[in-house]
Amino acid sequence: MKPGVGPFCFLGVQMAGESVIPIGILFSRSGPYAEPGQEGFDGAMAAIDEVNRDGTFPFSLDPVIRDPQGNTDRYAPFCREMVGQAGVRHVVGCTTSWSRKEVIPVVEKMDALLWYPCVYEGFEASENVVYVAACANQHLLPLLDYIIPRFGRDPLLLGSNYIWGWETNRIAREVVTHSGGTVLAERYVPIGDSDIAHLIAEIRAKRPDFILNNLIGSSSYAFLRAYHALGLEDPSFRPESRPVISCNLYEGEIADLGGAAAGHYSVSCYFQSLQTEENRLFLERIGAANRTQPVTAFFAESYASVLMIANAIRSTGADAIEPVLSAVTTEALPSPFGNILVDRRTNHVAMPAHIARAGSDGAFEVVHEAQSAIEPDPFLTRTRFGVPTNDQSEQDDKSGFLRVVR
Amino acid sequence: MTAGRPIPSFEGWRALVVHRPHANVDATLLQFERLGISAAHCWPEMAGDTGLSQWNVLVIDADMGYDGQFPWQPGAAPMPIIALIGSEAPGRVSWAMNQGADAHLLKPIGSAGLYSALVIARHSFAQRTALAGEIASLRMRLQSREALAEATALLMVRDNISSRAAFQKLRMQAMSERRAIELIAEELIAAVDLERKQR
Repeated sequence: MKPGVGPFCFLGVQMAGESVIPIGILFSRSGPYAEPGQEGFDGAMAAIDEVNRDGTFPFSLDPVIRDPQGNTDRYAPFCREMVGQAGVRHVVGCTTSWSRKEVIPVVEKMDALLWYPCVYEGFEASENVVYVAACANQHLLPLLDYIIPRFGRDPLLLGSNYIWGWETNRIAREVVTHSGGTVLAERYVPIGDSDIAHLIAEIRAKRPDFILNNLIGSSSYAFLRAYHALGLEDPSFRPESRPVISCNLYEGEIADLGGAAAGHYSVSCYFQSLQTEENRLFLERIGAANRTQPVTAFFAESYASVLMIANAIRSTGADAIEPVLSAVTTEALPSPFGNILVDRRTNHVAMPAHIARAGSDGAFEVVHEAQSAIEPDPFLTRTRFGVPTNDQSEQDDKSGFLRVVR
Repeated sequence: MTAGRPIPSFEGWRALVVHRPHANVDATLLQFERLGISAAHCWPEMAGDTGLSQWNVLVIDADMGYDGQFPWQPGAAPMPIIALIGSEAPGRVSWAMNQGADAHLLKPIGSAGLYSALVIARHSFAQRTALAGEIASLRMRLQSREALAEATALLMVRDNISSRAAFQKLRMQAMSERRAIELIAEELIAAVDLERKQR
């Protein structure tokens, strides 16, 4: 271990009279899911820049950057290198669950923390991961709560052929069944595949009430474009009648899709278009007006992760993981998605579930602004599955879809 | 204190790990080596021409395994199965259960855990197989219950004896011929039928 960067060092290495703390940044900025990776990277770097410019932190953060380029097998060696050679104790990164699963054994063995800033399917709670990310009871369930009473309960489920799609569709199937509906079909395509004509043909034949889209990247864009074309041909497949709903569709993506995503729904803890004072201040701080890319939840979650790390190091005086973890479970920190406090039992955070409709201008219109955060229930052991009736849905609107049964 | 089970022997056992090349496979193969069990690995399909009978235990991947990966119906594997589970998502756990996993190990695979998984998998598989055999035999006997009642009645009328004596007669014959009483009953019914037709 390098001197001065171990878990018990006080404020990192002394460099030119200022203490410097290395922080790992591990996102794929190229490859099949480069876009969310880039947004996570940008969010982390914006927060590092903010901490380093802020005179109230008695240290500066030094990003140790690695880009696995979407290759799952590169994550673990990069993480090992960051922790073992660069003295990093905190790594912000990973987009897919596969990559996170590769990093977990490394951080668990080497006494480091992974800060995971990305919506995911749940069913995990590692002691060495802080999940600054919504799990299914914080995204899919509130989205179905909103959609089923408005559009019907017989969906068609789509997904890229890996765990995100499999598990999210499995949970959706359970909700639909508990609500008395029928899943008309459940289809998967390989990651990166954009041959989706057969899906459009099936949707045309089966006429689902809505389509749950768990496709990622290019497959998702190809699908949304093709479905848009179907809607132009046959008005009964327009979003007003049969919308596409997603838990992983973000600002940058709908901007690239132009009008093709317009009218479809997404759920997220954060939308750039949220009309709140804290969001206005956040966008001002990061200079959103000068950015060429929109600000997404991936950006906001990564940004919040770095600020949580920096604040915890400031209050505990070191970057050792246990005190940092203890600080983030006891001191709430303001973030673009509300005050965040890490749940000690699960290492997840409570998050709001806002629901928005994509506009033709590439921005989201928030149609349901959650008034409170939903407690994390990563194993869905405390969550009910049936979707409420219209009356209950209105009541839930007021309580922000608090679904966790205590 | 109850008497312990005998120390299980895995002498001559061969294991097949069906998992993409990964550090978890290396760790599993190393554990097999320490246990003195020769092991091989493949992905994604089991090589068909090498023959299934040479493997005594199969290690499968709950994360990336898929339906139709193995040349038997789900749950009908002819050997014990140990599932390697990385994601504890219910869909993946359920897939492993459908394959008939007798035991599991959580990833990442380290230097321990395989021995107990192996002992448990072997025991569960033996118990599962024995129970399936017993259920099949009980089901057959249940189906022949009617034949037994009919044969008893036939003997009561033909030989003018009590039901107890009739049943005893069937039982003695089964014992002396070392055959199931149900078979004796069915043969008797068939013989009486034939006699009636010939008259």
